[in-house]
Amino acid sequence: MKLSTKGRYSLETLVYLATCRENCSIRSISEATGISSGYLEQLMIPLKKAGLVDAERGVQGGYRIARKDITCAEVLLASEGDFLPAPCKGCSQSDFCKTHQIWSLLQNTVVEFSKEILIESLAAHLVESEEGGGI
Amino acid sequence: MKISTRGRYGLRLLVDIAEHGNEGPVALSHVAVRQNLSEKYLQQVALLLTRGGYLLSVKGAGGGYLLNMEPDKMSIYQVLDLLEGNIAFEETPQGEESAIQRCIRLHYYQKLDLEVKRVFKDITLDEVTKADWFSYVI
Repeated sequence: MKLSTKGRYSLETLVYLATCRENCSIRSISEATGISSGYLEQLMIPLKKAGLVDAERGVQGGYRIARKDITCAEVLLASEGDFLPAPCKGCSQSDFCKTHQIWSLLQNTVVEFSKEILIESLAAHLVESEEGGGI
Repeated sequence: MKISTRGRYGLRLLVDIAEHGNEGPVALSHVAVRQNLSEKYLQQVALLLTRGGYLLSVKGAGGGYLLNMEPDKMSIYQVLDLLEGNIAFEETPQGEESAIQRCIRLHYYQKLDLEVKRVFKDITLDEVTKADWFSYVI
């Protein structure tokens, strides 16, 4: 079971943005995360659309996190599209398929848990670990 | 987030065998028809489940597959872990792991894996087959 690269990279981007006080250029995000600039530009489109990041043009421009209360679930829903672990949508058997219910439960478990994890608190752990000199 | 075809078909195969195994070994050709799945693919999945100790292969005329343990002892979590290779979201860092990746791994993926395990570890094939297990509260 894997999250898509898009989902993982979007989480990394948001956690980094949450540690920044000022707008971040694509270049600085790229340096911090190791994600290529081109790929970051693509990741930003759905994140912006979902209202998770704000973009500002100009000399002081760049990206910043839009809110303090963003959860991992919001980031993944925006970047992964959906959380369906199996392509049951539109399957003619889904009404009576017994395994379908397992995938629904898996989906609920992941979404509900991810709603509890704030990007902000991941960022706090990151800052803490860097201050501790551990990394 | 995706479960592979192997995970999905494997589970359907087990449910089908649990439901039809009372009358003797279940032929994959019958499962293929009932489940509308490719028999060739089912053979691969059945082999994996047999090696994992979940299925018993019966050779000869009237042969097929039987469950190799009581369905109320068969943990869905363990079955999926076998079929998927590894059901965890946490990945072993390949090469150098950035501080950000490490942070997300320790404080999100690892905890998410524990949560999935907590919810799924007690669900058995028997409950899935009876389909009355959805009373599970997350």
